[in-house]
Amino acid sequence: MSLAQRLKNRARRFLERPGTVVSLRRYEELLPRIEALEPELQELTDEELTQRAGEAEGLVEICAVGREAARRALGERPYDVQLLGALAMLDGHVAEMATGEGKTLTATIAAYGHVRLGHGPVHVITVNDYLARRDADWMRPVYTMLGLTVGSVTEINTREERVEAYACDVTYVSINEAGFDFLRDQLVTDIADRVQRPLGTAIVDEADSILIDEAKVPMVLAGAITTELDPVHAADAVVRGLVAHRDYEISEDGRTISLTNRGLKTVEAKLGGINLYDEKHLADLAAVNVALYAHYLLQRDVDYIVRNGTVELVDEMRGRVAQRRRWPDGLHAAVEAKEGLSPSAEGEVLGTITVQAYIGLYKTLCGMTATAVHVGDQLREYYKLEVAVIPPNTPCIRVDEPTRIYATRAERDEAMVALIKECHEKGRPVLVGTLDVKASEELAAQLAEAGVPCTVLNAKNDAEEAAIIAEAGTYGAVTVSTQMAGRGVDIRLGGSDQRDWERVAELGGLLVIGAGMHESRRVDDQLRGRAGRQGDPGGSVFFVSLEDELIVRHAGNEIPPSPNMTPDGLVEDERVDWAVAHAQRVAEGINYEIHRNTWRYSLVIEQQRKALAERRERVLTTNVTAEMLAEYFPEKCEQMDPELLTRVSRAIALYHIDRLWAEHLAMLSEVREGVHLRSLARVDPLDEFHRTAVPAFNALIPEIERRTVETFESISVDEDWQPEQAKLIRPSATWTYLVHDAPFGSEMDRLFSAATRGFRKRR
Amino acid sequence: MLQTIANAFSVPEIRRKLAFTAAILLLYRLGAYIPAPGVNIDAVESIEENFTGSNILGFLNLFSGGSLQRLSLFALGIMPYITASIILQLLTVVVPSLERLQKEGEVGQQKITQYTRYLTVGLSFAQALGYVFLFQSFQDQAGQSVVGDLTFGKVFLIVISLTAGTTLLMWMGELITQRGIGNGISLMIFASIASSIPGGISAWWNNQDQVFVVMMPFIALAVIVGIVFVQEGQRRIPVQYAKRVVGRRMTTGGSTYLPLRVNMAGVIPVIFAASIMAFPPTIGQLLGGADENFWTDFANFFNPNGWAYVVGEVFFIIIFTYFYTAVTFNPVDQADNLKKYGGFIPGVRPGRPTAEYLDRILSRLTFPGALYLGAVAALPTILISQTSANFYFGGTSILIVVGVALDTVKQLEAQLMMRNYEGFLK
Repeated sequence: MSLAQRLKNRARRFLERPGTVVSLRRYEELLPRIEALEPELQELTDEELTQRAGEAEGLVEICAVGREAARRALGERPYDVQLLGALAMLDGHVAEMATGEGKTLTATIAAYGHVRLGHGPVHVITVNDYLARRDADWMRPVYTMLGLTVGSVTEINTREERVEAYACDVTYVSINEAGFDFLRDQLVTDIADRVQRPLGTAIVDEADSILIDEAKVPMVLAGAITTELDPVHAADAVVRGLVAHRDYEISEDGRTISLTNRGLKTVEAKLGGINLYDEKHLADLAAVNVALYAHYLLQRDVDYIVRNGTVELVDEMRGRVAQRRRWPDGLHAAVEAKEGLSPSAEGEVLGTITVQAYIGLYKTLCGMTATAVHVGDQLREYYKLEVAVIPPNTPCIRVDEPTRIYATRAERDEAMVALIKECHEKGRPVLVGTLDVKASEELAAQLAEAGVPCTVLNAKNDAEEAAIIAEAGTYGAVTVSTQMAGRGVDIRLGGSDQRDWERVAELGGLLVIGAGMHESRRVDDQLRGRAGRQGDPGGSVFFVSLEDELIVRHAGNEIPPSPNMTPDGLVEDERVDWAVAHAQRVAEGINYEIHRNTWRYSLVIEQQRKALAERRERVLTTNVTAEMLAEYFPEKCEQMDPELLTRVSRAIALYHIDRLWAEHLAMLSEVREGVHLRSLARVDPLDEFHRTAVPAFNALIPEIERRTVETFESISVDEDWQPEQAKLIRPSATWTYLVHDAPFGSEMDRLFSAATRGFRKRR
Repeated sequence: MLQTIANAFSVPEIRRKLAFTAAILLLYRLGAYIPAPGVNIDAVESIEENFTGSNILGFLNLFSGGSLQRLSLFALGIMPYITASIILQLLTVVVPSLERLQKEGEVGQQKITQYTRYLTVGLSFAQALGYVFLFQSFQDQAGQSVVGDLTFGKVFLIVISLTAGTTLLMWMGELITQRGIGNGISLMIFASIASSIPGGISAWWNNQDQVFVVMMPFIALAVIVGIVFVQEGQRRIPVQYAKRVVGRRMTTGGSTYLPLRVNMAGVIPVIFAASIMAFPPTIGQLLGGADENFWTDFANFFNPNGWAYVVGEVFFIIIFTYFYTAVTFNPVDQADNLKKYGGFIPGVRPGRPTAEYLDRILSRLTFPGALYLGAVAALPTILISQTSANFYFGGTSILIVVGVALDTVKQLEAQLMMRNYEGFLK
């Protein structure tokens, strides 16, 4: 290491830059002692080892036993660096380990350690169901050897299976399933219906993805409600055939859409000459807005796919279908209308929690990922996590070529297909990462035309995921995938059995091609990380066109009018290189801002949720409501069997608590929508939000009590009384959805944006 | 408001924040009395008359809480930082690379903040250098200069001390904003101005005019009540969002609105007008010298207690109020923004009709708002001339003090609300 590099590292450590705070020296000192225990452990029988595992104390013994169990169960002895990662995770840090370094096994030792240290139950939180099931099955022999039970929870599991899985010492579960199980547990009317136990430790796999990228989207549990009106289908016909720019305008950032005056007149005429902006036509106006959004901002095969007669959302972060997820506020129905499908039931928010607040409920937290340092500041700010950078076991020799930029998409695709064809003819396996389903299908068609057979992996065939990925490194294979292949999957050179390893390695290993940049550099890096695992040869290159949405949206004005180009359209211009990187930085900045906004506004909601949850818990587990009602109606209560009284009073009180909470959430989301306007009066919108939210919540408890008393008064109770008799009907089905926020500038922003415009005009 | 403050002390976390804020402000006031090295303390006492009244020095002295006339460590006050942030904000409009930085969000903004800090240091350095030579020209009766004979080393020492002082203030202000209550920079200006209150009270008590002594508390109270009243006044234009189609009744009942304040422009027009009106007397004094001539007459004509000054000040306040309101609130932009996010004013069509509607309401509000600001600024001057009392009772100061106090208490209130669940969880 050069002197300059050393000084720079020293300075970074002094400034507490992410990735420099955790010193590995302490863990490295333990390694010889762990190794010293090995001969002794190797002489034990399997049964003796399992017994020893149940008695192991201290980090040294835990790691030594873990290593031995892995060696016996999987036939691979964990490397020193894997133990370093496990030690960092046992210390409550995020371990940054390169792809292919064996994070799954590392997490297993950490999970075992946390159980031994009394931090259980341990949840290993994954990005998706596929990984949760795969990792649990894969690591089961190790856990068995260690005397621990392991389970996994996925979307398809029934309630009983979930209870069983959560009862295990270690549970593998995707963040969404864990969060939604938690939300559903918050709404049970019988304590025996809960599936989760009190939360202990979370080991977060792909920590940057879950803790940062997903955290900007609150998890929402919705229940079906019946609506008599269906203005959405009527509006759908009205907005069909409108023309961009003439009838409607889409904002530069592509997030909002509105009618022009001409479009408005057309729509009003079609609706029978009404004034949409009259207060009595509010519902029609809303329906038109929602229909516009569905028609012109949401794209089929990008934002959603249509399968089996239903609209299925594509998770933008993971490129796969998000099960049981819907758009809020009638948008889902509008999309169904657009696709000519029959509408499904509307929903109402029953409970909400952000990923961040959910993760905060765990007593112990640690994680691992290949790309943590980029988000180190945020991990520290939001989760008090530090990043420990674990060196790779074998250095990465992947060749990352500079990004190739083309002026138009056509030229870009042509060059990309040519490169893929060239590799394919030589036999070098290629993995192409596309941004969405549509792009993956278009590229597959182009490849077919060029005579290159390829396998497509996207949200539509996610069931075959494991098989496709396993063979992506085969000699001559071409795999086109959406972001699904971006994380957690391990591509072995020469096929799943590595039969052609040497032949493929000689050709340069797997080549990863990125067809367009993602909104964050980390996601790009993850895609690159599919190549070059464990010191394998490999390469990566990104193909970008100046017509890509990311660039047009965020750096449209920064592209010089006539950049230097080669005849085949390859742009070689420093200013363009800069603009392309700038576009990605702008996108990252926007996402950061959204995350921060979500977090700031969810703080008070989370506080209120906790307060009400405690109250609800008391109603659920004690007799408080019965006692309260006995004070109001001594006679009526005395006539009743005490057990019946408890059951009835509990059912009534719980119904009203959940009902009022849902109403409260609806109210808050309406306030949230317009609260940015308050910044005009030079007040902080967040303070104003609190000013509305807090008194409203304080009024909730007396209201719950009042309604409970009222309901109890109005009913007559007999032995087989059911809540439905008192019209206490709970939503039948639940589903989940994601919410987006629209950030709004401060007074200063407006001041200077106005000044800028003036300046531009003069210029 | 008093209840809020009482409550604040019962929450440990907020009590800590308040104590932190108070401690920093105390340090700030303390530093205002520590003379910069190389300053002749005896001579400082006798140069006070250079800083009274409404010339530029008096203005800056007010904002530095008397630090300037004492040439203390904090003589430059927080003004260089404010100037630097205004300059950088304006530069982001003109310089494309800064504008791009700003677009990159948090990270870019942090870089801009860093540039602001560098610029503050630069400005402080230049300003400190200017002050050293200005103060050399101030002499006491014995002909002693405040900074004595200047050598290179001495100039360097004073300049470095003053620059370091302002840099320290900048950090202290940021600390308050981060860990205390309220906006650090505003609170520092607040503390500076408030520091002249004890002096004002003693001046009032020792005044010869009995009528003035009796009337003054009532007038002051009336002015403060009036300011609070108008300051808080706003017109709430109801807004509805039509983005959701759910069979749900509207629950908020008018909590979504567009607030237009009577005083949209805040205190900025008053500060601008006062800065501009400080020029004529300053120029007059500079060019006039000791003898009576045209320039001394000119300076006298625009003396802060004269009618010419009052008329000029009110005139500029009205101009700046209109200007500032027009710049910060553009009805066309607002109408566009509403439309973009699916909002509308019930009964008003989007686009131009909405913009016109907003414009009409705004112009009805701006005129009384401007008159109000003018009145607050001019009233003290008129009072002083009517009572022939020699007492500086700045309208600008009251506006700032009341404004900062209101904002800080509001912030305190909001923070308190967040922590008020203890009682709920019984």
